Order: sequence, then structure tokens, then C-alpha cells
Amino acid sequence: MKFRPLAAGIAVLTAATVALAGCAGGGGAATGGTTAGKTLTLGSLSNVTSFDPAQAHLGHLMPTYQAAYDTLILREPDGTLAPMLATKWEYNDDQTQLTLDLRDDVTFTDGAKFDAAAAKANLDHFKSANGPDANEAKSIKDVQVVDDDTVRVDLTEADPAMLYYLSQAAGFMGSPKALGTEAIKTDPVGSGPYVLDKAASVNGSQFTFTKNPKYWNKDLQKYDKVVVKILPDVTARLNAIVSGQVDAVLLDPKTAPKAEQAGLTQTKWTNDWSGLLLFDRDGKIVPALKDVKVRQAINYAFDRKTMLKEVMGGEGEVTSQVFGKSNDAYIPALDDAYPYDPAKAKQLLSEAGYPDGFSMNVPLLPGTESIMAVVKQQLADVGITIKLSSVPQTSYVSDIIAGKFPLAWFQIFQGEPWVAIRQMITTDAAYNPFHTTSDELQADIDAVQTGGDKAGELAKKVNQYVTDNAWFAPWFRVNQQYFTNAKKVKVEVQIQQAVPNLYNYSPAS
Amino acid sequence: MLIFIIRRLVSGVTVLVALCCVTFFLLYYSGSNIAQNILGEFATSDQIAAKEHELGLDQPLIVRMLNWFGGALHGDLGTSWFTNEPVTQSLLSRLPVTLALIVTATIGIAILASGFGIAAAVKRGGVDRLLQTGAVVGQAIPEFVFAIILVTVFAIGLGWFPATSSIAPGAGGAAWIASLALPVIALVINGLTSTAQQIRSAVIGELERDYVRTLRSRGTPEPVILFKHVMRSAAPAGLTVLSLHFIGMLGGVVIIEQIFALPGMGALAVQSTTLGDTPLVMGVVVYTVVIVIIVNLLVDLANGWLNPKVRVS
Repeated sequence: MKFRPLAAGIAVLTAATVALAGCAGGGGAATGGTTAGKTLTLGSLSNVTSFDPAQAHLGHLMPTYQAAYDTLILREPDGTLAPMLATKWEYNDDQTQLTLDLRDDVTFTDGAKFDAAAAKANLDHFKSANGPDANEAKSIKDVQVVDDDTVRVDLTEADPAMLYYLSQAAGFMGSPKALGTEAIKTDPVGSGPYVLDKAASVNGSQFTFTKNPKYWNKDLQKYDKVVVKILPDVTARLNAIVSGQVDAVLLDPKTAPKAEQAGLTQTKWTNDWSGLLLFDRDGKIVPALKDVKVRQAINYAFDRKTMLKEVMGGEGEVTSQVFGKSNDAYIPALDDAYPYDPAKAKQLLSEAGYPDGFSMNVPLLPGTESIMAVVKQQLADVGITIKLSSVPQTSYVSDIIAGKFPLAWFQIFQGEPWVAIRQMITTDAAYNPFHTTSDELQADIDAVQTGGDKAGELAKKVNQYVTDNAWFAPWFRVNQQYFTNAKKVKVEVQIQQAVPNLYNYSPAS
Repeated sequence: MLIFIIRRLVSGVTVLVALCCVTFFLLYYSGSNIAQNILGEFATSDQIAAKEHELGLDQPLIVRMLNWFGGALHGDLGTSWFTNEPVTQSLLSRLPVTLALIVTATIGIAILASGFGIAAAVKRGGVDRLLQTGAVVGQAIPEFVFAIILVTVFAIGLGWFPATSSIAPGAGGAAWIASLALPVIALVINGLTSTAQQIRSAVIGELERDYVRTLRSRGTPEPVILFKHVMRSAAPAGLTVLSLHFIGMLGGVVIIEQIFALPGMGALAVQSTTLGDTPLVMGVVVYTVVIVIIVNLLVDLANGWLNPKVRVS
């Protein structure tokens, strides 16, 4: 008798749970039903800051922008550049004028026509709108409308990556009527395969796109609906793919085994290199780093194979070069340029006049404690003492590119040769904060810049130089661990990109 | 009564203004690289300077603060730096999720805790001991632990519920119920036992009072004594602890919403704070403080209605 209220309570709880579960079952079935009606649901790490095409950012956000916007040039999964809004392109002899023929049958979703004037408006806007990737337009001097469907891009100097840039952020074309308005920041107006359904989207949580009925290229429009869920937290991404709420997500070495157990399909490719950037090659903060032998000693000090296994769960490939495998500048032999050899490291240090080593201050990014502990220990083994100073996540990049530290750990995207060179090797590169160079290197860089079709091949010399001179201490190329639900979706890897292009997904059946 | 309400409102506004000032100060001194974070790692120093000028980050603190207060007084909380969406719009799209979560959980706690609390007070014995033990366990285990257990078992293991929210505007009631069920259960489990404990103590306290003895001696039936007299006197204690739970949950949902990827205010607060999105953080602070003030006022009014003594004092 005494327990009656409790029993009643339990009964109520059970009833409530069953009732709720019943509703959930109904909801789940409904979601499953629409997915079968050709919906692609992606889990994305990043939210869109602005749908203004000039604010587009490559990497994780590419598929989201590609839903709404077309690029001038299409980059195929293997990196080949193919026609899209531009059907043909040609450089003049000194590679400073790029003429593009444009399609004449494309309209934007607000009815405006895509033509040479629209392309010019977009490129001008991209150059002036101060977006994250505005540097892609750095070498654009002027854009000329030649005729209705021809546009000429005049460059201040040869730019071997210009065609690549036109397949990335710089190439997204928005309606000239909408460019620069407040509205386009949250409501894209492009000519892309899908249109944002604002009523079914919550900024920062989910973007829903529906089919653009007037799209010019049905081959690229494989779904009725594309949903992008913003899931910055890796556990939420794991849960979402395991429970079938998304069709594809990027995971990490910690979460990947659980997704594999759940029977999901893993696709791997290497996209970033991880290691140290030895910035202070002129010895402004730490004089020892001026000596190439010291920088080489740092390279010999790391047991890359063990580090890869212990810290990254073996997910990657050991290397001593910063250029990626899918890259013309890649030299296979350089992957093993600096094998683990602490004795040689010590010998190089004493030849350089530092038999007792030296010490320096290195920034510590929260979350990298374990890898930096290994760095500290491995360098201590050859006599180099490092003091780790914690830097908040939001200031890490700005601090290291402001030249506050002699060296820093980072994981950097392995782009096209010229993109990579401009990112970390030229004197104005963000990751060359002390603007170091040499006459020999500069000559090699100039050769790449004016090399045209041979630019990639010529970049091998730059690669050889920075590896021989130990500009960096790369450890490994890191695997992207991308998971898909193979029952629902097929996907093709996009080289040199964090996640595949939107066009690379297709329904499994 | 009116004076009482006015006094509470004035003190509420004072708290609101003070909190806004403090938050603005903290954001000013913590977020030094906002332009860099918006533009990403490839941005040059010229680009960053231009962005800072565009956002008004190159102005002194006091000017920025006055600008913000000026806008806020006209109902304009500005535009998010990281989503370019008007702050009011972002908040209004997320508030329903959080309120639905907290209100449902509060109602759940109120009903279940009253049941358990009264049962424990009246019956004592086994029910009471169970409640006492439950209260310790319930308070010792944080809600996010319950949440993770629920996700692992019911969403991933059994697949009964979605593991992350399926709430979107226009999504039907089923999607809302399915998405909110587990987070609500997690919040209820956590708040239930301590609230029941409070109600139990209050009911026991009342049952021992002289008026109960008098009522009994007059032959008033037990249910009437319990529900008409005792409950009315014991209610303020329960209401107060419920309102504290409600306000506590406004903070607790920060973690719950992250675990279930719910598009609510808590998730928004986390995202905007980590990014240093000043307009959005300020918006979240304003809305949260206003909700807290309103809830406190409503609880005071309800207490006054239930118990005339409160009105007099």
C-alpha cells in the first residue's frame, strides 16, 4: 500500500516515455521518407559568415556556397580545370591577360542575366569587398568587357594560380543586382543548382536548399534538396551520422573507429601537413635558427613514425616536405629527407656552435598539449630547450603570423604549388612573418610565377630548396577521415580540399 | 501591489544595465582578434584594418558602448559579425527552442516533484527513503551525464530518438517532440529529486502545524486538509525552488543544447562567445536577463496570490 504513489508515478513516467517514443518513431519515419526522395544531408564544421559570394571561403564551406553559386571554372575531383560558366579561356604570351568566353544561356535566380558585365561586376566586387579570400584577386589589375559573352582579366603580373582561383572563391558569380546589398548576406542570389529555402533554415544550425528549376546543367543537379547541418562539435557529428541524420561528415582519429563499427564507409585522403614552421630563419628572435645546421638538427630530432602512430593513431603519412602528393611540386624522395637521427642532430648543433643546445619560446595552442609535449621532449633529447607559452585559440594565428614567435606548430592546407608558395614561402606570404628569402630561392620562385603550364614542375626546385634549407620541420600529411552512409550516398574525393565538392555526391541507387 | 511591481521592475532594469556594461567590458578586453577571425588566416594586415574600421572596432570602448546602448534603446541590437543576421532575428529564431525545452522541463518537474514530494511527506517510510536517496544521486550526477547516457542508449543504441536535433522552422510537431524528448528528460531527472525534496520538507513542516491538528479535530477529511490547506501554505517553497531551477536551466541548456545540437539560445551563446561576436553575445545577455527578471516577478506575484502574508509584507 505504501508504494502505491510510487507505482503510479512510475506508470505515468513509463506512459509518457512510450508516448514520446511513439511520436519519435513517427518523426523518424517521416525524415527517412524524405531522404529517399533524393535529399542530401551534409554535416559541416563551419557556419557561413555571409552568403555574399565575395565573402566565400574555400575548404569546409565550398559545398555550401556551391549549392547557391556557380564558379567561372569547374575544378574536377582530380584537380583538372573544366568549363563551367566560362566555356573557354586563354592567356596572352606573357600571361598577364586572361580572356574568358562565357555561357550565354545562364540566368540568376532573380531573373538577371549572366553575361560579361555580370562577370566583371563580380570580379570587381570580389576585389573590393575585403572577403576572407580577397588575396586571390591580388594580381587582378582590371576587368574588361570585350563583348556580351567575353571578358578579359588584366593582371599586374603573371599568376599561375589565377585559373584555380576562378574555380574557388574568386570564381563564384552572384546576381549583379544583388551584389553589395544587405539582403544577399543572408539570402544568396546566384545561378547555382539550388536555392536557399530561408523559411526552412536557421542560421548557424541548418541551411536547406531546394532545386533551382531553371538550372542550366542538370548533370550537376543530382538532388531535389540539399540540407547542410552546422555541427562544429565532433561528437555531435559522430552521433548524427551514426543515427542516420546526416549522410556524410568529417570525423577525426578519436571518433572514426566508432563510425567504422557502425558500418559507415570511410574515405581517406591527405589534405594538410602537420609540423613546425621555422619562421626565424634570419635569427631575429633566436640567433641560432639563422644557421641552416640548427634547423636541420631540429628536423633530425623528430621520430616522425612513432609520433604519427602515438599522436595521430597512424592516420597520415610521414614526410619532410611541405608540398602534397597530388601536387606537381611533390618529390617522393623528400618524404624521407630527414630520418630520425638524434646523434646527427647533436653533431649538427655542435658544428653550428651550440654543443650545449639553446632555448626558445614556442606558442601552445589549446588542444595540442599532447603533441607539443612530444615536441618538447624530442627537442630536449638533442639539447634544445623549449618553453611553451599558452596562446588562446582566437589569437594563435594572428600571433604567429605577426612574428611573435621564432617557430610554431601548425597544420596547413597543401594547395596547388603557387598557392602553397604564396601562403608560406614568398616574402609577402602570411606564414613567412620575417619575410626571409635568398637570391637563389627568389629566382626559383620567379621561374614558377612566369612558368605557365610548367609552373608546377618548376616548383620542384622551390620544394627542394626549402627542404634542403630546413625552412620547416614537417612531420606528416594528415588523413581527412570522411564518412558516408554508403546505402544513401556515393562520394568522390576532391583533391586539395577539406571536404568534397557538392557535385561529387550522388545518390547510391 | 502596483508599487511592488514597479519596484521590482526598476531594480530589474538596473541589473540589466549593469550586466550589459560588465559584459561589454569583458568582451572588449577579451576579443582582440575579431577581424582576423572573420577574415581567416590568409587575411593581410590591410584587410584586417579595413574590417576593423567597418565594424567600428577602431573606436574607443566608451563610443562603442554608447553606440550599442543607443541602438538597444531603439530596439536595435545590431547585426551579428559572424552571420550577418540581425541579432533580434537570430534570437527570435532560437528562443522558442530554448523556452520549449525549459518550460516543458519545468512543468515536468513541477508535476512529478509534487507527486513524489507529497507522497513522501504523507506516507513517509519506503517512499521517503527512496526520495532521500534519489535526491543525493540526482544532485550528484550533472545533467550532461544523464544527457550523454540518454543519447547513447536511446538515440544511438536503440534509435528511438534523433541523436541531434531535427528541429527546423516549418518542421512539424513530431520533429519538435522527438528532438526535445531526451533533453527534457535529462533536465527533469536532474531537477526532479531536489524539488521533490523541498516540497516534501515544506509539506511535513505544514502537517506538523497547529491548524492541521485543529482541522483534523473538527473532522475535516484528510484530502481536503492536504490539498486545500497544507498545499497552499507549502506551495511558495516549491515555487521558489522551481523558479530557481528554471533560471538554473537557462544556464544548464548551454551544455544540453550542445550535446543534442539543438538550435537554441544556449548553443548560440557558446558559438557567439567563443568567436567574440559582441552584438550577438550582448543580445543573448539582454534576452536572458529579461527572462530571469520576468520569471522572478511572476513567481513573486504567484506567491502573493497563494499566500496573503507575502502581499502584506
